[in-house]
Amino acid sequence: MEFDLLTTVETGGCSSKIPPRLLEELLRDLPLSADPDILVDISTHDDAGVYKISEDLALVFTTDFFPPLVSDGYGFGLIAATNSISDIYAMGGKPLLALNIMMFPSAEIPLEVYSEILRGGYDKAREAGVSIIGGHSIDDYPPKYGLAVIGTVHPDKIITNSGVREGELLILTKPVGTGIILAGHRMKMTTDDQDEEARRHMMRLNNDGAVLMQRYGVRGATDITGFGLAGHALKMARGSGVTIRINMGSVPLMSGVYDLVSQGCIPGAAFRNLDYAEGDTLFGEGLDYNLRMISFDAQTSGGLLISVPEEKAAALLADLHAAGHPEAAVIGSAGSKRDVSLIIGE
Amino acid sequence: MKVVDTRGHTCPAPLIMTRKGLTEAAPDEPVQIIIDNKTSLSNVRRYLTDNNLIFTVKEDGNIATVTVSRGVKVEMSNDETEYCTTTVAASSVKRNTVIAITSERMGTGDDELGTRLMVSFFRTLVLIEPAPASVVFYNAGVKLAMEDSPVHEHIKELIDKGTGIYLCTTCINHFGIKDKLPLGSFSDMYQIINILKDADHIIRP
Repeated sequence: MEFDLLTTVETGGCSSKIPPRLLEELLRDLPLSADPDILVDISTHDDAGVYKISEDLALVFTTDFFPPLVSDGYGFGLIAATNSISDIYAMGGKPLLALNIMMFPSAEIPLEVYSEILRGGYDKAREAGVSIIGGHSIDDYPPKYGLAVIGTVHPDKIITNSGVREGELLILTKPVGTGIILAGHRMKMTTDDQDEEARRHMMRLNNDGAVLMQRYGVRGATDITGFGLAGHALKMARGSGVTIRINMGSVPLMSGVYDLVSQGCIPGAAFRNLDYAEGDTLFGEGLDYNLRMISFDAQTSGGLLISVPEEKAAALLADLHAAGHPEAAVIGSAGSKRDVSLIIGE
Repeated sequence: MKVVDTRGHTCPAPLIMTRKGLTEAAPDEPVQIIIDNKTSLSNVRRYLTDNNLIFTVKEDGNIATVTVSRGVKVEMSNDETEYCTTTVAASSVKRNTVIAITSERMGTGDDELGTRLMVSFFRTLVLIEPAPASVVFYNAGVKLAMEDSPVHEHIKELIDKGTGIYLCTTCINHFGIKDKLPLGSFSDMYQIINILKDADHIIRP
């Protein structure tokens, strides 16, 4: 009797983003506001906008929503909310308030599913200390859900794509592979354990990572979502004027991911991300093809990619492990700008 | 010729079917893939190109026929075999990386800087997964493996991660530091040569 939300969509989660190359073209000619209190806007490819209210308070503002990527409404709500709130954490902020954004075909899907999605959203918001104080729904097929979220940050402690410094090491807090696992699930190629592992990671808030980033004085970070590990690393490298090197051999992978890719289970979003990034990316000699494609796998509610001075890296890593991110690992580094912004090695 | 008909399937199914077809076909048997949507065609093309396979594409309206000719390029079949057998998790593909420490310092030019760099090298090395298979210390490098060395703790961490630590016995005797509780196993030239000879990569900081 349970309605399966996956029957409404062909792709889900952050895989359904508009191709990044196209998006850049569409946004290029939009006039940017000249308000001097805007501290971060779209021009640095950041996760959220930041607006200064006073000398010690700025607002972080973001939104994100997408079609279903799991079968059950409650799980979808939990994941969508985790993903929406993540952009606040990625900027080093503390989330406060949110609005629901819901598109739902009331004539085609049982209304209990609507309630289940919202229940998931509210439960995750509560866990994050966020109050949902309203929202907006329209009738639309397939369903889509997410939040618009406001958080706060000290104006001097904003963490951005442009805060990476040469010589820093990059730590990734969650394993990658959600896009591949979700695609594999549709093809009935994954085990229940693999599905469950991906779900668990997608529902994991990046709150602990955000607190630790502030404790260690981190200024450069992003969260890994639709553009994949490589796509977001590239945006960070360009935003910061450095060249980032990622060692794929060090990147934690969800179980089953490598095997799925070697069987050809590569979601279309990975090809779109590759297409976007390859002009400014150098692939190391001997980099395995499957690892290359995994680096472009679109993540839903992925981990934080944190840039940290080398002498602090070991302590931050240990604290991340202790805070419930046992897979967190050093996966690369930032160096002076070269002819390409991103190098992906084995 | 093996025919893979992906019509009616959407991404990533056509790619999975292509992969399966290539694996199942005899090594020199051509594989024909029929595709009915542009996205899948573009992804299959890219996949075949990146995997060094030779193919032709014929488009007729919405239907594309991709023919992969096989057994033409020698290295192609090699790639193929390697590709099919690489099903272990990437993190478990451990390359035999060996680090040769030949001096107390990293690089030459300024001794103080060189010392700082070597400390930084070990501090960073322990953060990188997978850990190196072995670290070989010889000449003045052996001093870094002693109890009073600034990288003593990091060498311990490497040992915990399964890295083999090999010290040149002749060098330890030469510097007369045998009683300084060195970490690692005492090695002769024969063993050191074999470690270096069997390495996939040798890094000399």
